[in-house]
Amino acid sequence: MSGIKKFFAKDGTKSVISSLISILIGLVFGAIVVFIVGMSKKTIGVKGAWEGVRLIFFGVLNTGRSATGALTWGFNASNLGNMLFRSTPVILTGLSVAVAFKTGLFNIGAPGQYLMGTLASLALALSLPSDKLPTWLIWIIAFVGAMAAGAIWGAIPGLMKAVFNINEVIACIMTNWIAANLVTWFFDGSAFCNVEEYGKTGYIYKTSFNNVATAKFGLDKLFAGSQANAGILIATLLAVVMYIVMNKTTLGYQLKACGSNRHAARYAGIKDKRNIVLSMAIAGSLAAAGSALYWLSGNTEFFWSTYQSLPGDGFNGIPVALLALNNPIGVVFAGIFMAMLNIVGMQLSNLTAYNEYITDVIIAVIVYMSAFSLVIRMLLNGRPKKEKAPKKSGKEAN
Amino acid sequence: MANNSEYVIEMLHITKEFPGIKANDDITLQLKKGEIHALLGENGAGKSTLMSVLFGLYQPEEGIIKKDGVEVKINNPNDATALHIGMVHQHFKLVDVFTVLDNIILGAEDTKFGFLQKKEARKKVKELSDKYGLYVDLDAKVEDITVGMQQRTEILKMLYRDNEILIFDEPTAVLTPQEIEELMQIMKNLAKEGKSILFISHKLNEIMEVADRVTVLRRGKYVDTVNTADTNKQELSNMMVGRPVQLQVTKDEAKPTDVVLDIKDMCVYNEIHKKDAVHNVTMQVRKGEIVCIAGIDGNGQTEFIHGLTGLSKITGGTVKICGKDITKASIAGKSENMSHIPEDRHKHGLVLDFTLENNMVLQRFQDKEFQNHGFIRFDNVRKYAEDLIEQFDVRSGQGPITIARSMSGGNQQKAIIARELDRNKALVVAVQPTRGLDVGAIEYIHSQLVKQRDEGKAVLLVSLELEEVMSLSDRILVMYEGEIVAECDPKKVTAQELGLYMAGAKRQDKEDKEVAGA
Repeated sequence: MSGIKKFFAKDGTKSVISSLISILIGLVFGAIVVFIVGMSKKTIGVKGAWEGVRLIFFGVLNTGRSATGALTWGFNASNLGNMLFRSTPVILTGLSVAVAFKTGLFNIGAPGQYLMGTLASLALALSLPSDKLPTWLIWIIAFVGAMAAGAIWGAIPGLMKAVFNINEVIACIMTNWIAANLVTWFFDGSAFCNVEEYGKTGYIYKTSFNNVATAKFGLDKLFAGSQANAGILIATLLAVVMYIVMNKTTLGYQLKACGSNRHAARYAGIKDKRNIVLSMAIAGSLAAAGSALYWLSGNTEFFWSTYQSLPGDGFNGIPVALLALNNPIGVVFAGIFMAMLNIVGMQLSNLTAYNEYITDVIIAVIVYMSAFSLVIRMLLNGRPKKEKAPKKSGKEAN
Repeated sequence: MANNSEYVIEMLHITKEFPGIKANDDITLQLKKGEIHALLGENGAGKSTLMSVLFGLYQPEEGIIKKDGVEVKINNPNDATALHIGMVHQHFKLVDVFTVLDNIILGAEDTKFGFLQKKEARKKVKELSDKYGLYVDLDAKVEDITVGMQQRTEILKMLYRDNEILIFDEPTAVLTPQEIEELMQIMKNLAKEGKSILFISHKLNEIMEVADRVTVLRRGKYVDTVNTADTNKQELSNMMVGRPVQLQVTKDEAKPTDVVLDIKDMCVYNEIHKKDAVHNVTMQVRKGEIVCIAGIDGNGQTEFIHGLTGLSKITGGTVKICGKDITKASIAGKSENMSHIPEDRHKHGLVLDFTLENNMVLQRFQDKEFQNHGFIRFDNVRKYAEDLIEQFDVRSGQGPITIARSMSGGNQQKAIIARELDRNKALVVAVQPTRGLDVGAIEYIHSQLVKQRDEGKAVLLVSLELEEVMSLSDRILVMYEGEIVAECDPKKVTAQELGLYMAGAKRQDKEDKEVAGA
C-alpha cells in the first residue's frame, strides 16, 4: 500500500472524514434553509440570501461591511478570539460526555455538573480575600474547587449505577435539576448577589472585581478586542491528558473494559463499581472545569436567578461529543466548530435581516448527520475481512 | 404438481464470493422430497451463506437453483416464501409480548372487513399441532414459554404457511437433551408427512440419528454427499475437518497427588429464588486429575462456580486453594491460583469490543510486564498476544488487532483458553468449555485440558454433556439441586446410572461417597 492509501485506510482518518462529511451536509443544509427563508422574505431577497449563505460558511472571517455596503472579508481578530473563548466550556462539557461515553456511560448530567462548577468557582473566587492571598492562588483554588464539586456531583449518579444499578440517565436528569435549584437557592441566600455595578441588581459581579481572572497568555494581543484567554489552552491540555489517560494507561484500559463489558471486567478481577463511579467523577470534573473557565475569565457576569433552566453549554457537550465520535482530540475541534457557528449566528443577525437561530438549525442537522457518520464510516470501511490463520503457521490446526 | 425430478430443491454449482474470499465455491446440494438432509461443516465452512442464497438473501455469482426440476430465481425472502421454503433461525424471530397464536399468524393473518379472524387460524394451527405432535399453548405469551416451545412455535409458523421445504439452522444449540429428543421425533414426523428438511448442524450424533443423507462442506468447498446409513461419525468428522479427528479422548491413567482445591460445606445463596442454590458442598480436587461436575443445567453448577471464582458471595463453608483460605478473598485474590474458563464466553470471557490483544491481558494488564507507571506497554502486549495466537492457533481477520466480536465462536473460545492456560495456575476451572463448538475445536480443547492435567494441574470441569463427562474426567461428581449426590468412577459407572443420579432418582449416602472417593 502506498502512503496515501495507508493514510486513508486508517480508522482515525475515516472517522475524521465521516465527521467532516456530516459537517458539510449540515452547512449545505443550513445554506439551503437560509436561501429559502431569504427568497420568501421581501426584506432579504436574492442578494441578502447570497450574503447569508456566504456568512454561514465564512462568517468568522467577515470584517463587516464596506462603505458601499458590500461584505468585507479578512482576519477578524475579535471574532476568532471570541470563538476560542466560547469554545472553551463546550470543549470541556463535550470532553465530559465523550469520556463517559467511552466508558459506556451516557453523561446527560453535564449541565448539573457544570452548575456545581459554577457554584464552587464563583463562591471561592468571590469569597477568598484577594488582599491577603495572591489572586493566582485564588484562581487555582477556585478552579480545583470547581472540578472537585463537579466530580462529587458526577459521582452521585455513578454510585447509584454501581450500587443499585439505577440507569445513569435518569439519575443524571434528577441531579441536574437538584443542582439547578441548589445553585439558585445558594446564590439567593449568599451575599454575592448584592454586588452592584452601574445600578444593576441581582448580578454577581465579574470575578475580575477582585482581580481573579484567567491569565491571558498574550492571546488578548493576538486576538485584539476579544475575550480570548488561556482557558482554551487549559481545555486543550485537558483534552490531550484525557486522550493519553484513555488510550495509553491502565486506568483508561480498566475504565473502558468496565464500560464495554462490566461482567467480563468483574470476572477479570477489575473493580467494576469503583470504575463506574470513577469515570462519572472524571466526567463531572471535566464539565465543571468548563464552567470554571467560563466564569473565572473575568469578563462574564453571572445572573443567579437564571437557573430556573439548565445551562445550554452543558447540553451542547452532547452534540460536540457526537460530532467528535467521542475522540478527546476531536472534541477540541468539534467544540471550536460549534463556537464558530455561534459567532456566525451573531454575524447573521448583526449584518443581515436573519436571526441567529438559523445556526441552531445547522447544529441540529449536523447532530442528526453525526448519527449517520457511523453509516458513512461503514461505507468507507467496506466489508470486514474474513478470518485467516495466524502468521507463519502454514500447518493445519492441531 | 407434476414433475419428473427426484429432487424438490436443487442448488447446482453455487459460487458466492465476498471480497477476498469464496464463501461458496461450486457447491451442489440436492434435496429429495420427504428426506431429512443434513448440511455439515465447521464454523465458517459456508453453510449459512449457502442457506442465505437459498433464502434469497444473497445472489450467487454462478450456479442455478431448481425447484421441482424447474429453474427458479430467488431474489429475496418473499420469493423463497412463495416457493414454500421456510426457515427456523438459530435465534428465533418471535415477538415476545405476543401470544403463540399471534406469532404464528403474524404476516399471514386472515381478515374480514379489516378485522382479524383468529378462529379459522386457531383451528388450522390446532390441527397442525395435533398432526405433527407439536404441543404448544396457543394463548401463552412467548416470553413466558420454554425455549423448546418457542421452537415449536417457529415450526408451526412454517407449517401454517404451507411450507414444503423446511430449513433448520442449528436447531439444537439452544435446547436441553430432552427437548432435542423431542425435536428429533418431530423432524421425523414431518419427513414422514412428505416435508423435505434441510438440517444445518455440526453435531454428529444428531445427524446420525435423524438425517437420511449428509452433504459436507469444508472451507467453502463441497466435499461429498453420503447416506448416513453408509457412513459413521468418524468418517463424517474426518470429512468435515479434512484430517483424521480423534473423537475419543486419549489419556493415560491419572496420577493424582496433593490436594489443590479443598471445599468444605460451601453454600451459595440465590437472591432471586431466596434459597441456597448451592448447599453444603464438600469436595477436593488434586494435582493431576480432572474432576467433573455433572448434572442437568440449573442444578446449582453456575452458582457453585460463581461462588468459587468470586462472582457471587459464598454464604457458608470454606474454600482453600493450595492450602490458602480464599473464602472471603476478592475476585483478583481468588484468581491468584486459579484459571477460569467461564461458562458464558460473551458475558464473562471477553470484552467483545476490545481487540484480541487487549482481551489477552484482561487480568494481567497490571503486571510489570505490561505496564510501566500506569502506562500500558503496547509493544509487550502485542508480542505476548502474537505468541499466544501462534501457540494456540487462534484464527482471526487481523491478528492481535482483530475486534473480538468479529471472531468465530470457536476462535473466541480458543483465545480465552489461551489466556487462561497461559496464566499457568495450579487450578484450572473450565465450565462447559466446548459448548457450541465443532468437533475440531472440541478435540483441541479436550487435548489441552488433558495436557494441563498431565502437567500436574488440578482440573475442575463442569459439563452438561454426558459424553464429555464420561470421556474426559477421572472422577465424576453429580450435582442435583445444589448438592453433590454422587461420586463415581467414569470407568465403572454407566451413562444410565449417571442419568439417574442427575435426575435425582438415586443418591449415594455419605459413606458410599467416601469409599468411591478414596
